[in-house]
Amino acid sequence: MRRNVPMLLCLASVVMMLSACATPGTTQKPYKFSQQGTIIWEDEFEFKPPPSEWRIIQVEVGGEFGFGFLKVDSGPFPSQSMFVYDEEPFGCSSELGERGSEFFRRYLWSTAMIADMQILEKKKVNVLGGEGLAVVAEARDPVKKEKVKSKVVFGKRGDRVVAFYLTQWRPIDGTYDPSAFEIFDRFWGSFRFLKKSFYQTLVEDP
Amino acid sequence: MEGHQRNLSLYDRFNARVVGVSVDDVTTLKFWAKSLDLTFPLLSNVTGFLGASFGVGPSPEIKGFPVFSRRTVIIDTKGIIRYAKDGSPDFKDILLFLKKMNKEGGKP
Repeated sequence: MRRNVPMLLCLASVVMMLSACATPGTTQKPYKFSQQGTIIWEDEFEFKPPPSEWRIIQVEVGGEFGFGFLKVDSGPFPSQSMFVYDEEPFGCSSELGERGSEFFRRYLWSTAMIADMQILEKKKVNVLGGEGLAVVAEARDPVKKEKVKSKVVFGKRGDRVVAFYLTQWRPIDGTYDPSAFEIFDRFWGSFRFLKKSFYQTLVEDP
Repeated sequence: MEGHQRNLSLYDRFNARVVGVSVDDVTTLKFWAKSLDLTFPLLSNVTGFLGASFGVGPSPEIKGFPVFSRRTVIIDTKGIIRYAKDGSPDFKDILLFLKKMNKEGGKP
């Protein structure tokens, strides 16, 4: 197996693939649908779900992200798209710009892509009810003849930085699918917290 | 270690300090700390005696390499080990424990 699927497939032992969003209601699942059609995730997050061909992925323990969605795209390997919500993105700073710089020093570190990451766009956005930072980046691996385009959106939950990110993998001569980026934008644009985070509760409760 | 760095202000709040211990040499640790922007102390203990005194030995999962297991230990101001857990740090568990200790007056 090629090595850039690993972020998903090597986590097979800890990743639970739930069949698509079109099967609401089972008590085993960490999410439910609201009457408005949004997903309520573990009674903590609410967001607009992507179309049903996107499968939910969730890291049970020790993972790099909390949960997200994956779609295997048409076309040769490694055509796939994935986006996630991450409560603990790489880096330590609580300042968005600085955190963005720290993040991209380690983002996709397990692939050769990190050596050739180019920032294509960086702009302020409104996310999670406050100011955020959106960064679009691309990297190419001429040896494996693969490329990846990514969009990362940094926002704040209390004092801490959280992130949403999309990665779209393609053969080096492949074409990116902008619709995945639009779906991702709807995801983070609709995302909201239904309760305080662990860290907010930790410092506020006596 | 990045997780500890993110939590430094919370450790401060609960009157705790964090120190990392590794069997790597000083030069390696300096580069590593710089790459992760770590600002708390890292102790180089190449013989591993410090870890051994807390029951940490070579990882049984990785044969033939001097890779030591990970253990998180919380020591109170009297030098008593109040918390010890193997594996990757459970930061929420650690913070809840520190908060409880701080509340009880048994400062870590």
